[in-house]
Amino acid sequence: MSQFFISILIILTGGVFSLCFARQAKSVNIITVFLLSLGCLWGLMDVTSNLIHSAIAEKSFEYLNVFSLSFKMDGLSAFFLVAVFGICLLSSIYSFHYMAHEKKPVRVGVNYFFFSVLIASMALVITASNILAFMLSWEAMSLSSFFLVIYNHEASDNRKAGYLYFVFSHVGAMFILAAFALIYAHTGNLALGPMTRMPETMKILIFLFSFIGFGSKAGVFPFHVWLPFAHPAAPSHISAVMSGVMIKTGIYGMIRIYALLDLHTSLPGMVMIIAGAVSGILGVVYALGQHDLKRLLAYSSVENIGIILIGLGIGMTGVSSDNPAMAVLGFAGGFLHVLNHAVFKSLLFMGAGMVLHQTGTRSIDALGGLLKRMKITGTAVIIGSLAISGLPPLNGFVGEFLIYLGGFKGLALETSDFILSIVAIISLAVIGGLALACFTKVVGVVFQGEPRTRAAEKATEKGATMLVSMVVLAAACVFIGIFPGFIILLPLRAVAALGLEPTGFEPVMIIAGNLSFAAVVFLSMVILVALIRSFFYRNKPIAASGTWGCGFTQPTVKMQYTGSSYASFILDFFRPVAPLSEEHPAIQGRFPVKTHYKSHINDIAGLHMNKLVVDPILLVFEKLRWIQHGDIHLYIGYILLAIVLLLFFI
Amino acid sequence: MMIESILLFFLAVLTAPFFSGIILKVKAFFGGKKGPPLLIQYYTLIKLIQKGSVYSRSTTLMFKLGPIVSLCSALTVLLFLPIAGHDPVFSFHGDVIVVLYLLGLGRFFTIAAAMDTASPFEGMGAAREAYFPIICEAAFFMILILLYRLTGELSLSAYFSGENPFLLWYLAGPPLLFVVVAFFIILLTENSRVPVDDPATHLELTMIHEVMVLDHSGPDFGLIELGSFCKLFFYATLISRMILPFDLNIPLTFVFYFAGLVVVSVAVGVTESVMARYRMDKVPQFVLTSFALAFFATIITLEFI
Repeated sequence: MSQFFISILIILTGGVFSLCFARQAKSVNIITVFLLSLGCLWGLMDVTSNLIHSAIAEKSFEYLNVFSLSFKMDGLSAFFLVAVFGICLLSSIYSFHYMAHEKKPVRVGVNYFFFSVLIASMALVITASNILAFMLSWEAMSLSSFFLVIYNHEASDNRKAGYLYFVFSHVGAMFILAAFALIYAHTGNLALGPMTRMPETMKILIFLFSFIGFGSKAGVFPFHVWLPFAHPAAPSHISAVMSGVMIKTGIYGMIRIYALLDLHTSLPGMVMIIAGAVSGILGVVYALGQHDLKRLLAYSSVENIGIILIGLGIGMTGVSSDNPAMAVLGFAGGFLHVLNHAVFKSLLFMGAGMVLHQTGTRSIDALGGLLKRMKITGTAVIIGSLAISGLPPLNGFVGEFLIYLGGFKGLALETSDFILSIVAIISLAVIGGLALACFTKVVGVVFQGEPRTRAAEKATEKGATMLVSMVVLAAACVFIGIFPGFIILLPLRAVAALGLEPTGFEPVMIIAGNLSFAAVVFLSMVILVALIRSFFYRNKPIAASGTWGCGFTQPTVKMQYTGSSYASFILDFFRPVAPLSEEHPAIQGRFPVKTHYKSHINDIAGLHMNKLVVDPILLVFEKLRWIQHGDIHLYIGYILLAIVLLLFFI
Repeated sequence: MMIESILLFFLAVLTAPFFSGIILKVKAFFGGKKGPPLLIQYYTLIKLIQKGSVYSRSTTLMFKLGPIVSLCSALTVLLFLPIAGHDPVFSFHGDVIVVLYLLGLGRFFTIAAAMDTASPFEGMGAAREAYFPIICEAAFFMILILLYRLTGELSLSAYFSGENPFLLWYLAGPPLLFVVVAFFIILLTENSRVPVDDPATHLELTMIHEVMVLDHSGPDFGLIELGSFCKLFFYATLISRMILPFDLNIPLTFVFYFAGLVVVSVAVGVTESVMARYRMDKVPQFVLTSFALAFFATIITLEFI
């Protein structure tokens, strides 16, 4: 484990270095980025070798026998760490040119400092094996990411997003703390060890508390309200890390607690599948309705968390119904999707970052035609979009395929598990179709057609490190999609760490082989048809002309189909869960002045959160205002009273 | 065996345009016209291949990839399809999910090619093309749930090759009637036929699939056409094997299979002749019927069989 701590040390050194020398020169950034990437690479190599050899490493630090921090790396941790280090490596490389033109050097230094803290704390959360170590790194993670979200704190939207994130992450931490308190009350020590002897109802309570707590970090509906605001507010490489890996620490927390609890009821599976189906479908519906490119991607993270939950839920149902084949497929699919989503979501955020960097806008309907001048970015984003829509032969499909197979295995079960499997399969199918619609919107409106504004017309792509990161991620999407057999070992090691029989792994390898085969067949078919096509076009007249305007001869770029119109057909269908608010002052008088139209798809979780949670809480606190009177004597009295009252309970 | 499967695959690709000709003939008959010759689609394809192309200045490489990928997805799908009840070229557990997602891939590229032209009409068609198949996919997965429940298998050959469809009827006869109707609705939707889409309409605003390929010409358009014939062939085969599931000696199986395909084509032609296209906002309800039927069939099987 010492290699792991060395990598953490390198990363933190990079952060502190950048903070200390921020004022000096641009060259500081090179060293910072170098140290961050070196640390991530170091960690990546260490955890990958640990994962492949299924090694378990432990380390604990004691201070005066009161303050003990212990860390442990098993297959599950190592698997999540692969995603953390891999994505952070590429994000820090990407950040070099992304941050190169920032005017305020101190702010950049602070940003790098918190970035390094974020990477280190994510890695520590995933390896923490006692309550203290876990909560400390969890808080460090939440706070550092909070400071990263308010990077551009001049904009009031960003401050609001940061505040919302702060509230949510602490309410979530409170639930996690409640779960840990219950654990401590029953085991009597701080270690996060197996809890087999606990009463079943207590286990369920712990599971539900940790589900809510970790769910609010992961962005599970309806605890996702902060996510679509906070992720877009951060600089793009941070959005990539937050959406790609930070929310996965929530998933890690859920599955870690689940593994420790050793539950035998079907409840966890049910909770996970239903929450997953709702998050998945609503997440992608809201994503489809967004006008802001980065917010669209953030909502799509909610969707993908839904898919992961469905996979893990199928795994849990497989465990509770004693069906190891189903369990292995569900867990392996869910874990693989964790990795896949990390890859393509960070790719897409980096692409969006490039677009934002070059055009200065995130508004989908103000862009268009970028593919012609941003060839590498455009191609990478198209590959990422295909992957996130779960289409073969790319990586997103492999994970979803395993989850489907797990779901179909569950159809052989009895009533309630059977119904859960139906819910899982049908919602996966619907999510797949909606994701296709959502990402054809991204590709079609942002990258294709004609530029809708001057900014989009002049955009080009610059910044070698940004392009390199995107190319590597896009290549990973293709590689995992065509040869899943090479990578599927990693999630299987994580599944093995959950204590499932390794005998169930053989079929997964066969499935990977089949998918690889189908991908190769399809691609050779494409090459064959492309050859035939070029044969047909030998010595043929090829002309260029304008697009056929259906008889209209003076088309302008403003007539193009907008992203909002593209999505409106589907959103109409989901109107009850995605209410539309429009603002359109009526045209008046004989000589109407300029008018505008504004539409917004409302998130029902956000709407009802205000009505059902925030308003009552405000009301209660309004009534309790008289306690806060400003008299210091009485405050001391409160403290005394509280201590006296507490004495009765001890 | 493998060689026969491959030969059947090529036969399927070769005969696919024929069934589209039948539909046109039936429609002409209902219209009191003589109609084009049965082999009209072959003539069209040959004519298209001989031509050159005009490309819009707005387009990129995606526009040229669209026809290739949509044809290839349809062709790859046929490789997994048991043609005339014979074993398919390739088959593995879960191949039917790959098949559905490959069709999705074809759809992605068709939409991308349409969005590439910057034409508002094509954008509108693309929006509809992205919408209706979502419901179809859900319905198809519902049917798969039923078939998996009956057979415990998850591949096209386990459902449609040899005497397997006959066994399906034996296991759960009545609910399968719903499945046949659901398949027919999916066929109409996925292949842009009336009452979902009107391939013969004159106004671009009311089209779905046809408007998306307005800017394609020459061999590219030929590839698209061939792809859509193959897709129609795929769905027609599923229904043909369901309604005439007999597995006898070689010539008779072929006759039954071919008859099934003709019956499906005639049914499509008759539907197109006696119905008008639904208003766009009514279409989802029509497509949802297929999901409801499949769901109902599953519940019946679960409770009574």
